[in-house]
Amino acid sequence: MNDDDLLAMVRQSFTGLRSTTPVEKILRHGRTVKARRRLPVLTTALAGVAGAALAITIVLPGGRPPGPQPTTSPTAELAAWTVTRQPDGTIKVTVRELRDPAGLQSLLRADGVPASITLSGQENPSCRPYLADPGLQDKVVTPTMESVRPPSGTPGPDPYSGLVLVLVIHPSALPNGVGLQFATGFSQSVTAGGVHNTQSTHLDLVYASPQCTGS
Amino acid sequence: MGSQQRDFAEFYRESCDDCLRTVVVSVGNRDTAQDLVDEAFARAFASWRTVSRHPAPAAWVVRTALNANISRWRRRRREVPVPDPGLLADPAAVVDPAAVEGAAAGLVEPRIMAALLRLPARQRQVVALRLFLDLDTGRTAEVLGIAPSTVKAHLARAVTALRDLIPTPHEEIPS
Repeated sequence: MNDDDLLAMVRQSFTGLRSTTPVEKILRHGRTVKARRRLPVLTTALAGVAGAALAITIVLPGGRPPGPQPTTSPTAELAAWTVTRQPDGTIKVTVRELRDPAGLQSLLRADGVPASITLSGQENPSCRPYLADPGLQDKVVTPTMESVRPPSGTPGPDPYSGLVLVLVIHPSALPNGVGLQFATGFSQSVTAGGVHNTQSTHLDLVYASPQCTGS
Repeated sequence: MGSQQRDFAEFYRESCDDCLRTVVVSVGNRDTAQDLVDEAFARAFASWRTVSRHPAPAAWVVRTALNANISRWRRRRREVPVPDPGLLADPAAVVDPAAVEGAAAGLVEPRIMAALLRLPARQRQVVALRLFLDLDTGRTAEVLGIAPSTVKAHLARAVTALRDLIPTPHEEIPS
């Protein structure tokens, strides 16, 4: 009996061992896992108006101009989103509005986090998912929703719902050559209460590349 | 049923048995393996959009199941006294003898199962991934997070050991 025959015999001896779990049970549990993992949804009821335009005020500390520049100061702040490096080395990203993905992507890259940011709801097709370590994503990024006040000096009524998406990123947990993909977008639904814009967001780890993360 | 759900259901039906066999050999406990594999498949469905693009989705399921087993072991270690520190130095080496009997009873030939469970944990994992998922050396190395040369060494040693541990038909003494 050669090695192949031996291994074939071992394999053959397991033919009676079969999974007893019906696929329906897996699907049900999978939906629960997905619901638990899905980012909290930000829903804005608009009074019959689809896609109300929000006035954006850009706040730049220290006269720092917008655009893809390294973060020479620990904090870069825009009305649309805020990126803050925290004392423990994590990076806190607060997303108030889906705007300027290139700016956010550049800022994160300058802080050592290769990132692909898309706001169309579609992922960048050039990105290749990083699946070598299924548990890694939970160590790299923690998404939550936080209740915040709008930036001071914002004129008029509060254009925000009071809830914003917050990502806490642990750059030290990212292996070399791996980045973060952040794909978010709005979908609309009409109910008796009006038009609802629902923001859904997908986070994935991806292989960093010029086409995907720009580096 | 949506197309994604149909795709996943087909993947599940095609691979659930081999994933279960791989994890049974790795953890030595049929019930634990079934729980781990079910959870891993549920996670695969929850992330099916990305997992389906993995070159070997079944390998992703097994890796997720084995990672979950290590997490379970770490939780257990905090909760109960450790009877055998030498054995528990390797989380994957934890083998429940009662469950081994369960795995063997009427489902797997007892002499084969017993031989597999006498192999070191890493050798069992390498053999199981090769046998049931038909993974090549590179993919096996990726799943287990070890070097391809280490995979080859483990497989060679495992086959040699199995040859000694499993009597081939002409070696068995007629009764």
